Amino acid sequence: MRQQKSRGFWYGVYALVLLALVAGIWGMSARVHYDWNWKDVPRYLVSTSGQELLAPFDAYVSITPDGKTLSLKEYGGERSASYTDFAQAYAESGDLVFRDDLLAYQAGLKPGILLVGLWMTLKLSAVSLVFALLLGLVAGLGRVADNPAAKQLSSNYVELIRGTPLLVQIFIVYFFIGTVLQLSAFTAGVVALAVFTGAYIAEIIRSGIESVPKGQMEAARSLGMNYTQTMRYVILPQALKKTLPSLAGQFINLIKDSSLVSVMALTDLTKAGREIISSNFRPFEVWFTIALMYLLLTGTLSYLVRRLEKRLAHD
Amino acid sequence: MTDAPLIHATGVEKCYPNGTQALKGVDLKVARGEVVCIIGPSGSGKSTLLRALNAMETITGGEVVVDGISVHARGTDLNKLRTHVGMVFQQFNLFPHMTALENVMLAPTRVLKRPPEEARSRAEKLLAKVGLADKANVHPGQLSGGQQQRVAIARALAMQPSIMLFDEPTSALDPEMVGEVLEVMKNLAREGMTMCVVTHEMGFARAVANRVIFMDAGLIQYQNAPQAFFDAPESERLKLFLGQVLK
Ligand SMILES: Nc1ncnc2c1ncn2[C@@H]1O[C@H](COP(=O)(O)OP(=O)(O)O)[C@@H](O)[C@H]1O
Ligand SMILES: [Mg+2]
Repeated sequence: MRQQKSRGFWYGVYALVLLALVAGIWGMSARVHYDWNWKDVPRYLVSTSGQELLAPFDAYVSITPDGKTLSLKEYGGERSASYTDFAQAYAESGDLVFRDDLLAYQAGLKPGILLVGLWMTLKLSAVSLVFALLLGLVAGLGRVADNPAAKQLSSNYVELIRGTPLLVQIFIVYFFIGTVLQLSAFTAGVVALAVFTGAYIAEIIRSGIESVPKGQMEAARSLGMNYTQTMRYVILPQALKKTLPSLAGQFINLIKDSSLVSVMALTDLTKAGREIISSNFRPFEVWFTIALMYLLLTGTLSYLVRRLEKRLAHD
Repeated sequence: MTDAPLIHATGVEKCYPNGTQALKGVDLKVARGEVVCIIGPSGSGKSTLLRALNAMETITGGEVVVDGISVHARGTDLNKLRTHVGMVFQQFNLFPHMTALENVMLAPTRVLKRPPEEARSRAEKLLAKVGLADKANVHPGQLSGGQQQRVAIARALAMQPSIMLFDEPTSALDPEMVGEVLEVMKNLAREGMTMCVVTHEMGFARAVANRVIFMDAGLIQYQNAPQAFFDAPESERLKLFLGQVLK
């Protein structure tokens, strides 16, 4: 009873602290005379300006007087086309347009720049994760191998990557390797993130393998299984299960680290924010929104991993 | 030659990298169908000797021939050799992420490439043989020590080995579980399995062994049929050791 009372008290303290923090932020923004304007934010999430309708070939434009039908007649050719499914014409009657010129905006919603950036961040993280896992697995197995070349190479890789800042690695990949091999910004981003995260995953996998009791290797080998079979069927399943929480943590780090690739010509969530701010000068609202979006992403992920862990713990 | 010894070790020496001389020239012959019990104080080299027989440990001198194969020769297919030599460990070493049945099936399907149905029905028979037919789908974590060790024996038998090595199979067990494991081993001996058993169960050695070996300081000091071995200990050292163990 007494205990319940004091717990209630501390929840009250917790609420007060949160309130004080919000008031503090508000107070600070008031001191710099920042006037909050959240109304602009939704249109960066969902844009109402609609899809663009582009000319499929060089043509003359004609629009009916009621403005509902737009027809094309090919310049120096026989083709023609007409459109009715648009909201607002951009070209005018009698215009000569060239292929891929803007004709009109179609009605409807399209994802705003923040959602497009979020999607890029997700895609970048997911693709990088796949390669990071592969790299980490190979390097982690190399770390525990008997072969001196495998051991030495993987240990150098891990030390090199963990000893240098990610931002510097991104610059090297983008400006040096990317230029030499003519990598796209996306590929360069994936390479940088996968190589970086792979080094940490290698260490996680190594420690996972080393945490499996020595007797497991002995029992499997005494049954006539070779090293590869033993790793695949006996050691790795146990090691991966044990390291699942750390691997998930690494994936969450990967999502956050991916914000650094916004230094390249790649519009991820963070870069999207910088682009918005450079046109509307509303840094507070935009950065808070972006922080929240990252938090949603990582929060969902840790929730899914916790559920997976529970399921695995059962069998 | 059918009566050539199944295990023939001569002058086996083992010096660990840290300089410990664990075996100092051991000669051992085990005939087909023979049950040999090895006793001796801790650190006398019993485990090292057993592990040298299936090349789980390299040796630094001498030779081991098992079933006509020179174990430590260059070019010997050790994985193939080990399918003929089953091993049971003090700590069971079952694979915790698999059920009892999967533990028994793993090596036959992956190493011998047996079809899964065939491996499964054999594994079920073996689990029944060690008295655990009802535990097939249970993970090792939910089994008692005695049950785990019996699954481990079934797992080794699944490879249809011609020799079984036991390294203190009951030493990690609570006393009330020792009997069930020894019972399985007794049945195995009765069926004619060739066995090398490191153990401190003198009752088992006396009842089942054809020969008892006393190891000390990296050497076989003394060996004899169980009757003579226990009733007329040859040396003071052995007498002292037996006195301690039997207490
Ligand atoms: N991997 C190892 N490295 C170094 N010394 C070892 C190793 N394994 C065993 N030894 C040493 O070799 C000797 C014999 O060990 P072991 O064969 O395990 O004896 P037993 O099984 O009779 O107790 C002991 O002195 C032990 O400390
Ligand atoms: Mg031992």
